[in-house]
Amino acid sequence: MKTLACKDLRVGYGGEPLLPSVNLEVESGQLWAIVGSNGSGKTTLLRTLLGQQAPISGELAWSAQARIGYVPQRARLDDEAPSRVVDVVRAGVDRGWSFLNPFHVRRHAEAIARAMEDTHTTHLRHEAFSQLSEGQKQRVLMARAMASTPDVLVLDEPTSAMDMQAEHDVFLLIDRLRHVRGIAIMLVSHHLPVVAEFATHVLLLDRECDIVLTGPIEQVASEHHCRARYGRILQEGIERRSQHLCALDDSHDHLHDHEHHAPHGHAHSHDEAEHG
Amino acid sequence: MDETREPDASELEALTRALEQDEAAASAPAHEATHAPAAESLPHADAPAELVGAGHAEHAGSGLESADFLDPQMDLGMFFSSWDLFGDSALAGAIAGAVLGFLGVYVVLRRMVFLSAALSQVASLGIVGAFFLQLSLGLAWFSPLLGALLATFVAITALTLGVSASRRDGMLGFVFLLGASGTILLGTQIVQELQDVQTLLFGTAVAVVPGDFTRLLVMGVVLGAVHLVGWRGFSAVVFDSEDANVRGLPTQALELGLLATIALAVSLSTRVLGALPTFAFSVLPGMAALRMSRNVPRALWTAALLGGLAGFLGYLFAFLFELPVGASQAFVALLTLPLAQAVHLIRTRVRHFAAP
Repeated sequence: MKTLACKDLRVGYGGEPLLPSVNLEVESGQLWAIVGSNGSGKTTLLRTLLGQQAPISGELAWSAQARIGYVPQRARLDDEAPSRVVDVVRAGVDRGWSFLNPFHVRRHAEAIARAMEDTHTTHLRHEAFSQLSEGQKQRVLMARAMASTPDVLVLDEPTSAMDMQAEHDVFLLIDRLRHVRGIAIMLVSHHLPVVAEFATHVLLLDRECDIVLTGPIEQVASEHHCRARYGRILQEGIERRSQHLCALDDSHDHLHDHEHHAPHGHAHSHDEAEHG
Repeated sequence: MDETREPDASELEALTRALEQDEAAASAPAHEATHAPAAESLPHADAPAELVGAGHAEHAGSGLESADFLDPQMDLGMFFSSWDLFGDSALAGAIAGAVLGFLGVYVVLRRMVFLSAALSQVASLGIVGAFFLQLSLGLAWFSPLLGALLATFVAITALTLGVSASRRDGMLGFVFLLGASGTILLGTQIVQELQDVQTLLFGTAVAVVPGDFTRLLVMGVVLGAVHLVGWRGFSAVVFDSEDANVRGLPTQALELGLLATIALAVSLSTRVLGALPTFAFSVLPGMAALRMSRNVPRALWTAALLGGLAGFLGYLFAFLFELPVGASQAFVALLTLPLAQAVHLIRTRVRHFAAP
């Protein structure tokens, strides 16, 4: 299912475009990585896609049925705010005016439980959110986003405050959500190596060269400009992915092992045939 | 002008006069409890003279004539036997405390503690502005309460629309100073009825007339219903408005609704009880409840309970120990903080020992 289409989309501030026009189509089951260096316009583009900011020109169309889940870069919940993990996840089920229905949360108890299960946060349900590690908080925010059973999950630099291992675990989780739920995922990142391992599609922003490249990761990696600047990093990531032999279930087990202090590793699954 | 000062006897006479005028304008009957003749029918024949009507208000209000602090001349029996006289005022404090305590959770979480101070100043400007219009243009229908509400809603709209969260703090300062300086500048132009203006500006928790009590009660019921139904929406906006926006929640309407309810409660409470207890109720019970609760719904109800208790007990202590009512209510609200800290410590210790 096509969830998002952008045609000649220009984004920026005060009528001044920051980037060349963007053309892309996002479908279910794809993982789009929006990559670029600091100040390249990633956040501006994301805000525009999420409707927080008006585009300067062009078309931006989410499918009518598309339900968007959003995971911010860092939890905005004040540490002074008393919230258990389960309270944070429950808060995610409301859409539109559903908050007026006192039974809405109860009716979605199953979706809440599934979201927590999928993000491996069930055992944390009664913990205070403020006491969690950054990695755990990010998983809880993902559970909050998944509680409303979205068709597309948008993540704004979900691993910016994490070390490499925690970052890898989060990407494993994202990849697993994509497989298990069949949802489209769009994430912003500037960690090209790890993105190349997991993304099916890339939106590469380069303000220095005034270039926007979009498409399947192999296709983007083969572009002349991309090869010159990022070729080695992207190629290594793609090769690492192609070497992954483990199945999806193994990756699930691996993630569980990590949560219980298992030794570090890189075994995880990917659907290798889905790219291009 | 000193906002925290309680009125003396002459001011209370003026208060009664001003309230009568205000009541008459609103076509509401005057309350017997604020008049000495009604107090003559008190069941306690041996009640001290100060207890009688405005006489008691003088006693409780000034606090200056109290020779023996903490040597109560009144007792609980007197208080409850004089319920007809003081019940409305004590309950008015409880209602304002409960409503503002509830809303104070959002105020504290949004780091908008300054909001209630700014709004009470703007409400004062609205009151003075209404007086000015009444006297200079003869707009008798433009009541001080209408002026207060209008001014606070304009301020809230200005603070909500087109002001980013990062600029809101500065804007609050602007609104506060506009209200404070505007009140003084405009107030000094009103030579006539200055006493009435002062009384209406700073309110008095000592003697609340039935019209104001009814308004507070209606406000409590309406705001309670609005927040009972919409608390998940308000919480979503307070916690993470960007996420709420992505999920399609009407964030701007919720934000405006939240601030409007705070504005309504603050302006009415400032008008009826005065600025000091209003500010105390809108900050302290919320802070205490957030410290002792495990999630937001519990914090909201705990804050309402603590605020209600602070309003009622503050009035009771003022009666028993002949203290200024507003200051007494604010002080009892202050006591909720060490109480919350104690509860928090006990809970932490219990959890620590209970942990395997």
